[in-house]
Amino acid sequence: MQFGPEGLPDPFSQPFRAGRCPIAEVRDPYAPEPVSDAELIDRVLAGDPSAERALYDAHVDRVFRLVYRMAGDLDRAQDWVQETFIRAFEKLADFRGESALSTWLCSIAMSVSLNGLRKVKRFREREVSLDDALPVGFTPREADPDLKTRLAQAIENLPEGYRAVFVMHDVEGFTHEEIGRALGVQAGTSKAQLFRARAKLRQALADFAGDRSG
Amino acid sequence: MTDDELDERIRRAARGYNAPPETPREEMWARIAEARRAHASTPTDEAPATPSEARVIPLRRWRLVGLAAAAAAILAVGVGIGRVSTGPQVSSWEAPSTKGTAYRMAAQEHLGQSEAFLTLFRASVRRDGDYRLAAAAARQLLGTNRLLLDSPAAVDRRTRLLLEDLELVLAEIAQLSPHSRAEDLKLIRDGIEQGDVMPRLRTAVPAGSASTQGVL
Repeated sequence: MQFGPEGLPDPFSQPFRAGRCPIAEVRDPYAPEPVSDAELIDRVLAGDPSAERALYDAHVDRVFRLVYRMAGDLDRAQDWVQETFIRAFEKLADFRGESALSTWLCSIAMSVSLNGLRKVKRFREREVSLDDALPVGFTPREADPDLKTRLAQAIENLPEGYRAVFVMHDVEGFTHEEIGRALGVQAGTSKAQLFRARAKLRQALADFAGDRSG
Repeated sequence: MTDDELDERIRRAARGYNAPPETPREEMWARIAEARRAHASTPTDEAPATPSEARVIPLRRWRLVGLAAAAAAILAVGVGIGRVSTGPQVSSWEAPSTKGTAYRMAAQEHLGQSEAFLTLFRASVRRDGDYRLAAAAARQLLGTNRLLLDSPAAVDRRTRLLLEDLELVLAEIAQLSPHSRAEDLKLIRDGIEQGDVMPRLRTAVPAGSASTQGVL
């Protein structure tokens, strides 16, 4: 088996980025010919239900990963992925192919997720449960030694736009161009928001700067 | 530690942020396909004004619908038991054991479904407060519950007591409406807690029972 220009695409020629596995892009030579997104879209628009399933299968993993990272809750993530695909199928005729279909789907997924998070936030603000109320005199623990726990809290506290860019870029490995297209902003705006998000996280986790344990 | 080093450490730790589980492809696709079918069969002049959101089947509702369907199936089994128990054509040597086994199976199935339902109900009370579907599912379970209580095969005292306590809780949930007050919910929760309904249900349903498999 030969990699490179004469044989299969060389999976090791591309730098590894979180969320992408170049090896997974090497096609099994015995597998059926892959169907392009354009062909799938045509078939979906012509009313072929098997094409809907094929389109879903081709993109659901990436959409689910992204939505779950934003939602942090399996039930909610499933609801939002469902809404993403329903919207996508409804609006597929409007897709003009200016970006990759996966990017377009991620833009719907982010819109659904951000709307959902706003609703969750509003609901939490309204919800006053005696069961959950802290007893008088209880002081939340300020210093949690676990970086991951503190980081998760700091990410949740980021402004919405910063959080979206940070999760897409630093956690899921999207490029600034993809983020820009998905969120409807310039790539430069995405870079600036990531810079500010990182600064806020550094600030929130400053006490770890002196800690050299991994 | 420099900013870059801290950034790198944060980036490494962030890869574990809300780490996604395996994609539940089939479960999500079933709901998408269902919503698409419903959309296709809705006449255009009856389509909701806000497009997809109105057609999304929330996971909790999907599960409650599953519970209601399962409860309806149990109801049918229960009706069958009632008919068998009163039918004159059942041979005398066969009747007691068949009746008893069928009753036990139907009761276990029902108690398993009820346990799953009450678990979901307690979670949903804390989360979004839409009780209409819960009330509908409770009504379904209530019908089965009454049938099991009225069955001549209901001879086990412990099961009878559990079914009676369960009936009270289900009846309270069945009466919930969008206008129900917080006190009503508190009463239901107290009813579940004080009667030890959940632990008794769990004890009554053998681990790995088919009743809860495929529903949750």
